Amino acid sequence: MSQTIQIPDVTEFMTRHLVDVFDTMLSMKAMRVPGTELPAFDGRVTGSVGFGGEHVTGAVYLHLSESFAKQVAAAMLGITPEEISDEQEVNDVVGEATNMITGGLKSWLCDAGSDCAVSTPAIIRGTSYSIEPSPDATRECLLFECGDNRIVVEIHIKIG
Amino acid sequence: MAIKILSVDDSRTIRLIVGKAFKPYDCTMLEAGNGEEGLVVAAREKPDLIILDVTMPVMDGVTMLTKLKEDAVLKVIPVIMLTAESGRDNVLQIARLGVRDYLVKPFKEDQLVEKAGRCVTLVKRAAAPTAPAA
Repeated sequence: MSQTIQIPDVTEFMTRHLVDVFDTMLSMKAMRVPGTELPAFDGRVTGSVGFGGEHVTGAVYLHLSESFAKQVAAAMLGITPEEISDEQEVNDVVGEATNMITGGLKSWLCDAGSDCAVSTPAIIRGTSYSIEPSPDATRECLLFECGDNRIVVEIHIKIG
Repeated sequence: MAIKILSVDDSRTIRLIVGKAFKPYDCTMLEAGNGEEGLVVAAREKPDLIILDVTMPVMDGVTMLTKLKEDAVLKVIPVIMLTAESGRDNVLQIARLGVRDYLVKPFKEDQLVEKAGRCVTLVKRAAAPTAPAA
């Protein structure tokens, strides 16, 4: 039986889950900070994973600066950032991190009665871009600090 | 003789993390990028343990596990499922298929090693000999 999903519950879950993913996989402490707009990045790497089911559809975007994405990749693979040989390694890790974050949301939605499937990850790279949600979807931006770095989780979600 | 561990995951990142987790142990790591490749490697190499992702293209982990369990030789190989989805239905489905254990992503490497250690005997690699002082 599907329960009514509330956006604040989604953002609260995603806040806890992002912190958990960074702590467990990377031993990095992320902390939610106020704000709803994407900060400026010199260069940005964005992982995206879509989700869709009968009662809920949307996508999760994980935005990191290029330099922090490289640090994240190194931490996940147990090497130094200097040992990262190409962009593909960074893309793989950012995609996998986005997959884990969205997989958690999928599980949470399924337990709330809104079964859905997730897509394979995709990566966007660039300096200045924004991702527009479909007109009937809600857009939530969650900002985190991890040391001197910013992490942004952008959620586009349509319920019902 | 080194334990053979087969990591089946479409994510190269996860395969690298799994390989890193077992680096201190006397293990031979084998890899496959989906269930179809995983079955081929399993039939050829007869691994002692399979670490199997659930969601993969070409052939997913559930289908691969079902086929393993239908094979008289391969069905005895212990399987630990790795899944990014911790939902009740997903976990129940995995449990019904007869896996030895499962681990939800994100996971810590020592959690994986601990679960693997319940299925196979992991022996630490001997430390590399140090060069004699000049």
